[in-house]
Amino acid sequence: MSSVEPEIDFEIDPEDLPERAAAPAELGPPSVVVNDLHVTYRVIGARRRAAPLAKQSAMRRLLAKGRQHAGAVTEVKAVRGVSFVAHHGESIGIIGTNGSGKSTLLQAVAGLLPATSGDVYLSGTPSLLGVNAALIKKVSGERNILIGGLALGLSRKEIESRFDEIVDFAGIGDFVELPMNTYSSGMAARLRFAISTAAVPDVLMIDEALATGDAAFRKRSKARIEEIRHDAGTVFFVSHSLASVRAMCTRAIWLDKGIIRADGPVDEIADRYAEYVAELHSEGKDDRDTAQ
Amino acid sequence: MTATSAPLPPPSSADEAAELAARYGLRQVGVRPSLRQYVRETWVRRDFARYLATSRAYAENQDTYLGQLWSVLNPALNAAVYVLLFGFLLDTKRGMNDVVAFIVVGTFLYKFFQDCVNGGANSIAKNLSLVRALHFPRAILPISNVMANLTSLVPSLGVMAAFILLSYFIPGTIWGGVSWRWVLIVPAIGLLYVFSLGVAFIVARLVAQLPDLQNILGFVLRLGMYASGVIFSIERYVGALNNDALLHVMSYQPVAIYLDIARQSLLDEPAIPLDWTKWVWGAGWAVVFLVLGFVYFWRAEARYGRE
Repeated sequence: MSSVEPEIDFEIDPEDLPERAAAPAELGPPSVVVNDLHVTYRVIGARRRAAPLAKQSAMRRLLAKGRQHAGAVTEVKAVRGVSFVAHHGESIGIIGTNGSGKSTLLQAVAGLLPATSGDVYLSGTPSLLGVNAALIKKVSGERNILIGGLALGLSRKEIESRFDEIVDFAGIGDFVELPMNTYSSGMAARLRFAISTAAVPDVLMIDEALATGDAAFRKRSKARIEEIRHDAGTVFFVSHSLASVRAMCTRAIWLDKGIIRADGPVDEIADRYAEYVAELHSEGKDDRDTAQ
Repeated sequence: MTATSAPLPPPSSADEAAELAARYGLRQVGVRPSLRQYVRETWVRRDFARYLATSRAYAENQDTYLGQLWSVLNPALNAAVYVLLFGFLLDTKRGMNDVVAFIVVGTFLYKFFQDCVNGGANSIAKNLSLVRALHFPRAILPISNVMANLTSLVPSLGVMAAFILLSYFIPGTIWGGVSWRWVLIVPAIGLLYVFSLGVAFIVARLVAQLPDLQNILGFVLRLGMYASGVIFSIERYVGALNNDALLHVMSYQPVAIYLDIARQSLLDEPAIPLDWTKWVWGAGWAVVFLVLGFVYFWRAEARYGRE
């Protein structure tokens, strides 16, 4: 672990990292356009305390206490006005501390989480690899492949013809017949990755899903990502590991409290982010615990 | 630097973004498709709905030693309880030839309807991991829920037939025997299925937007059970009130209609003769609820999965 990125790079040993992604000489046309995107979660049944209870009168205290448990709605502004343009052939790392809105941004750009305001435009269908890898936990991997493939719009024939390839790629062997709740998190993530990339998506979004894979799988997935990028797709990649973002991406977007703090070539942004994190640590304030 | 070697700057306004998108043929995310397109997308993914349904129905009984046997044992025990309570313990004949058959048909079909409504209400929340991971018309979720319930209804129908055949051995029962009319249970369940699907669409949207309704649903369904003649004959009990308007409303409301036509096909009761006007009513309710429910669900398509 380097001294600049303390405690952040727990996912990957440097020697496991695949070859660096080569920055493309020429970018394709835009594939994603995001304008002033806001996402606000409404958390039903939870309320923050407005003022310390001790400072209020007994009656108000009672009311406030009651309201905390009934009729409570809290709004959490996870993404607050994000704009960017992504191009075909780009792979973009999204970095930021926990709770900075990275996953929310991906879900909203993928159209899986309705935005509160703002516009998102995409070319083709996006595919998002989330942290929860199993589609249906109680059901076998085989069924999950079928269900995932059908949901992605593949026909049953197409899935059958790619079935072996998917299982091989995921490297789960006989486990494919067992329910997915018997899988290790790495196996589940691998299977999900294989399903999601079975139909080559125009925009692939990976939300820390590869953190659980081993070195061999990381190499394979890296190759698949390069393939997608080569086929003029766009890849978004969320990770806590700066090293893997540097390795996988050509561009980085640094998100801080729901706002883009910096956007540019991966090395430049990653360096600035690493400095920022180092500063946080030297101040003795661990943002990773407080921001959540 | 030229525009091809560095990414374009972020759009500064909604108009600029829309213009950029139009120039490069991008489509907007998170907007509701047209109704026609929505129907088509849903139809294309019918296999998805079916697989989701059978997988869910199968997963339901997976964590038990008897496994899939429970899909038969469950309805059998259920019916046994009702028959014991209402057929034997509480005095019962109530002028009917075969009270066991009457109760079994009522409870089984009402349970199917109830499961469809409850499952429909949960369909978005229960599948949030799918909703947050994959693109597909969300209407698939209530549809596959109703399909899953139909999958579990099939073994129940066998149990139902067994109970009706066994009721022959109960003293005092006038047994109708096996009749050609039994095949009518297939269209009767078909109509109930379409109607339940329509209701599932409606509650799916209602509960997705206002989760509190989930708690009220249980009470409504229990009330519906007594108001639909599941265990007691509507005509016998409401008819005694001498209120023709009330009797009419209660006998022609959809659930009562479906129970009635199902009994017309399976039972041999002088009080429940084959009455085709009720079948027409059943078809009418099914179409009305399916269309209303689907359109109502579609109108909120872009908003599912926010909470």
